[in-house]
Amino acid sequence: MKVTFAYTGQLAGAAGTAEEEVELEVGTSLAAALAKLTASYGGKFAELLVDGSGATRSTLLVALNDEQVSGDYDEVTLTDGANLMVMTPIAGG
Amino acid sequence: MAELSDQDRAFYEWQLDVPGFGEAGQEKLRSATALVSRIGGLGGPLAFSLAAAGIGKLILVHGGDLKPSDLNRQILMHHGALDSPRTEAARETLQRFNPHIEVEVVAENFTEENAGGLVKRADIVFDCAPLFEERFLMNRECVRQSKPLIDCAMYNLEGQVIPIVPGETGCLACLYPEVPPHWKRRFPVIGAVSALIANIGALEGIKLLSGMSGVNLNQMIYFDASTMQIRKIALKKNPDCEVCGPR
Repeated sequence: MKVTFAYTGQLAGAAGTAEEEVELEVGTSLAAALAKLTASYGGKFAELLVDGSGATRSTLLVALNDEQVSGDYDEVTLTDGANLMVMTPIAGG
Repeated sequence: MAELSDQDRAFYEWQLDVPGFGEAGQEKLRSATALVSRIGGLGGPLAFSLAAAGIGKLILVHGGDLKPSDLNRQILMHHGALDSPRTEAARETLQRFNPHIEVEVVAENFTEENAGGLVKRADIVFDCAPLFEERFLMNRECVRQSKPLIDCAMYNLEGQVIPIVPGETGCLACLYPEVPPHWKRRFPVIGAVSALIANIGALEGIKLLSGMSGVNLNQMIYFDASTMQIRKIALKKNPDCEVCGPR
């Protein structure tokens, strides 16, 4: 199945793209999808997504079909055509 | 409530005709005090739009002197004000533009010491600050004092606005429970983007203050100026939030 990931803020810079389509196995959880992306990009992208223990950063905002995902990402199963936004915090200036 | 004078009607007649706003909305705006922290790329154009709309009083909170690198986006400033306090340049610009509103300046940033007193004097707070430590202080005080907070942010060609109303929405700490470790004070942005995001924030505040409908509560308004796409993200209150959750 295919899902679309949009990245914002510093994460878009780290990915080198603001949006991409990712091929995933049917039944993949959000946690597994993020782990796959983290492993694939590594470096700054991984630093922005996960902390030293490998846990997803508490300041990361993930939206599935324009709704904030809260709770355990392992419990969120992605479906074909899902639209995800992964947002790192930004501020003013 | 400040009743409108004939002069007010002359200044604001184009917006008095806006459905849902009218004289009642203008009177509410005229009676309101808005605090803007800080008055840079976001806060400057935001304060300008509030002044144009006829807000009763602005409290502008920003420490430090104007630097050359501020001038691509801080439109209340001018090149002649380099190395002098930003608040004075902002006051001068706003009072020249609209001498019929009150402008108070506070030449310091939000701190643990002044946060409570500053928020107490405002009916609404616009958060345009670059540091999360300041943003969290504003958020905490607004929640504590039940004051609405319009949280504005930008980066590159994108930006976001979150209207926060204590008791009706989650708060900034629901979204970001800790200071993001990778956020840097200096980041890329074009001034036109900051003005655009600032005006989304100003509009949400004007709607709230004037009693208009359509305030985007429990949502983040996200704008990507590279594609000119706007998205609205439905946000959830964090039941375990240390700031707005049950204690």
